[in-house]
Amino acid sequence: MSEQIREQVSAFLDGELPSSETELLLKRLTRDPELRQSFGRYALIGESLRGVSGSASLSLGFAARINRSIDGEPAAPALPAARARPLHWWKPIAGTAVAAGVMGVAVVAWQQRAVAPGITAAPRVIAQNVRLAAVPEPISYTVPAPATAPAMMASARLTNYVFAHSKYSVGLGQGNLLSTLLSEDADAAQGAAVAEAASGNAAPRASTVPAVSRAAQTAP
Amino acid sequence: MRGWTRVRAHWLFPYAAAGVLSLALGQRSGAADDARAWLEKMNQALATRNYDGTFFHLSEGRVETMRIVHRVKAGRVTERLQSLDGSGREFVRNNDELTCFLPDQHTVLVEPRQDHGPFLGSLPRFGADVDEFYVIQSLPASRVLGRAARVIAVNPKDQYRFGYRLWLDENTAMPLKTQLCDAHGQVIEQILFARLEMPEIIADADLAPAVRTEGMRWVRQGPTSEPAAAALSAYRAAELPPGFHLTVSGAQTLGGASVPAEHLVYSDGVATVSVFVEPDAAAQSNTAATPSAPAEPPMQGLARVGSGFAFSTIVQGHQVTAVGEVPAQTVEFIAHSVKSFPATPP
Repeated sequence: MSEQIREQVSAFLDGELPSSETELLLKRLTRDPELRQSFGRYALIGESLRGVSGSASLSLGFAARINRSIDGEPAAPALPAARARPLHWWKPIAGTAVAAGVMGVAVVAWQQRAVAPGITAAPRVIAQNVRLAAVPEPISYTVPAPATAPAMMASARLTNYVFAHSKYSVGLGQGNLLSTLLSEDADAAQGAAVAEAASGNAAPRASTVPAVSRAAQTAP
Repeated sequence: MRGWTRVRAHWLFPYAAAGVLSLALGQRSGAADDARAWLEKMNQALATRNYDGTFFHLSEGRVETMRIVHRVKAGRVTERLQSLDGSGREFVRNNDELTCFLPDQHTVLVEPRQDHGPFLGSLPRFGADVDEFYVIQSLPASRVLGRAARVIAVNPKDQYRFGYRLWLDENTAMPLKTQLCDAHGQVIEQILFARLEMPEIIADADLAPAVRTEGMRWVRQGPTSEPAAAALSAYRAAELPPGFHLTVSGAQTLGGASVPAEHLVYSDGVATVSVFVEPDAAAQSNTAATPSAPAEPPMQGLARVGSGFAFSTIVQGHQVTAVGEVPAQTVEFIAHSVKSFPATPP
């Protein structure tokens, strides 16, 4: 992200960017998936610096775990998914020469979400994090398995549940829920649900592509 | 709020200070009433105004760019939510029918939706029952998109629910920015408008899907029905987190399932949790209901679902799953407490 765009993004997140420039930034963002990713990270770092950490929380993507199940690796979801997710997340961060302190915040934020299932495990994990944040190669970072590793859920059925639930969901979370279903990352889950609905059985899931490789080929 | 006061950032300090000051001056109830009125205005605006905007949906370290178009014309509501990057997916709602265009799946999904709120959602009326579990606060004004914005926080009083922070346009009450936060004030998800117009007239073309549907497969989902009268037992949560109560119970055939799932909806007035009860898939396929389908392993444990969680367990040979935009412990609590009760005669 160039300095100029960084300033634009910063001004935008502070609500200070004039609408003409916002329009331009928006066009750039919709055209450029890489810039969009940077924008997400920048927004996150901004929030972390402001102390509102956990914004755009860096969790193990639900879809990523679902994808592992589709790839026929139903067991041990935490580790493979955790490895898959931060890879494309981390690399650019390391490359943007962010201060180590900020990285620490980001790692902790991510880790807290990642182990959300085992909240009791969090203090131990955070301690480990802070130490690891100083290591220059964060890509090698691995997630300690939470005390109670969440078991895998069958994707298609769960997506059907989410869809049925969204109908009754009150509150603004409903909008978020639909946005989640719209997003590319939910592909596998949604796709499986659709395939199941269409064919009347749960078999045709092979056509779905893992989210990670899809994220890598984000050509517009 | 706790998270806010230990902030390093300069820009939050005046807000926190002013918040404390207004508390000290005993203006809290007045401010809360004002905040309620603004939430009501926001709901009104979301449901009844014409708008066309582009927003960022930030979640799980990702950003999605979306366009929302909402039109109310002669009592008919039409709206369109479109993903501007990658998938090209779109949702179009025409009054009570929701159509999901999924070009990447070559599929169009159609579902009936009655009494459905706007795509962007809305917040319920905050009555006394809700007050017991949430604190509503007006925070000092701010700016979003260069516009003056009212800032309102809906903070949960315990760990069983999420809260919101809302930046509402001073002129239109439209939410220019919304954050979903946990009980510690940590942001889980946010929506941030980059452009928002409120035109008098919205052309049909702006509500038409950009997706070309030739050669796509159309799938229609069944409507929710009343539970079968012949049911011998009913599943209910024996215990619930404080404030949650049963609001809806029904049955729905989901996807290609051969047996309808029992669907229970629990709410505290703001947050909603659905509970689905289905015969265990493995047991079901043994009865040769769907001989072609391989037996799905039962789902067990926790999964993240968008901004919320799902928790699955097996109860008396039935798959029980609780899902909602609530903290993990809430879905876990509810799923674990589901039991079968003898059906009460009508």
